[in-house]
Amino acid sequence: MSPTAFGVLLVVVSTMVEGFGQTFLKKSSLDIERRRRWILLGVAVLMVEIVLYSAALRFLAVSTAFPITSLSFVMVTLLSRWLLAEEVAPLRWAGVGLILVGTSLIVAQA
Amino acid sequence: MTSGARVPLRLVIGLAVAVALDTALQLVWKTGIAELPDTTSVSELLVAVARNPIFILVAVFMGAQLVNWLKVLDHADLSYAKPFTSLSYVTVCVLSVLLLGERVAPLQIVGIVVVVAGVWCVSQTRRATLPTAAEAEPE
Repeated sequence: MSPTAFGVLLVVVSTMVEGFGQTFLKKSSLDIERRRRWILLGVAVLMVEIVLYSAALRFLAVSTAFPITSLSFVMVTLLSRWLLAEEVAPLRWAGVGLILVGTSLIVAQA
Repeated sequence: MTSGARVPLRLVIGLAVAVALDTALQLVWKTGIAELPDTTSVSELLVAVARNPIFILVAVFMGAQLVNWLKVLDHADLSYAKPFTSLSYVTVCVLSVLLLGERVAPLQIVGIVVVVAGVWCVSQTRRATLPTAAEAEPE
């Protein structure tokens, strides 16, 4: 695997990790009795994401890594739907789709 | 579907602060990483991070980001709030042009318009599936 491919893989994994971290943070607002526990869990998971993303930046330019992180918008939306039972209206999905395309366009040229 | 007008000001400010902190973090982080020594030794890297004041700034921004973000999540669904942070792609792009003198390509301008359109779509959806924690227990 080339260093670039490895870097891309690290960023993709970090977006999945971000999805779970964000879900745990939102849980802290839904499960007030265990608020602190959810926050700690969320922060711990997001720290893993930071480690993965920093590692990726050793192999990739920020201009390459940053656009891939836009996958986290899809991950967060999927996990919000599955784990938090949030209603994701078609218009919200359309918005997430536009955001994916738009952020890719912004960085593809960078 | 509710209109954007019914979104509480606190939530709007919280989302704006989240985007601003996200932008600052990206730019500062980029600077910090560039200053790290070119080494594969984890211990050498950790020492370099500990000695670089930029990473203290990163930690402060991250702490502020967490406190603000938890407030935002008290007022809205995660799948509603998270897409707004994509605006930091726009701000980082614009600031790279203004501060770093990078050139903006026509496709990037299209991208900026598309991201803003996407965020507008999300802003037109209902911000919370259930009454939020903030509404159930007013502060």
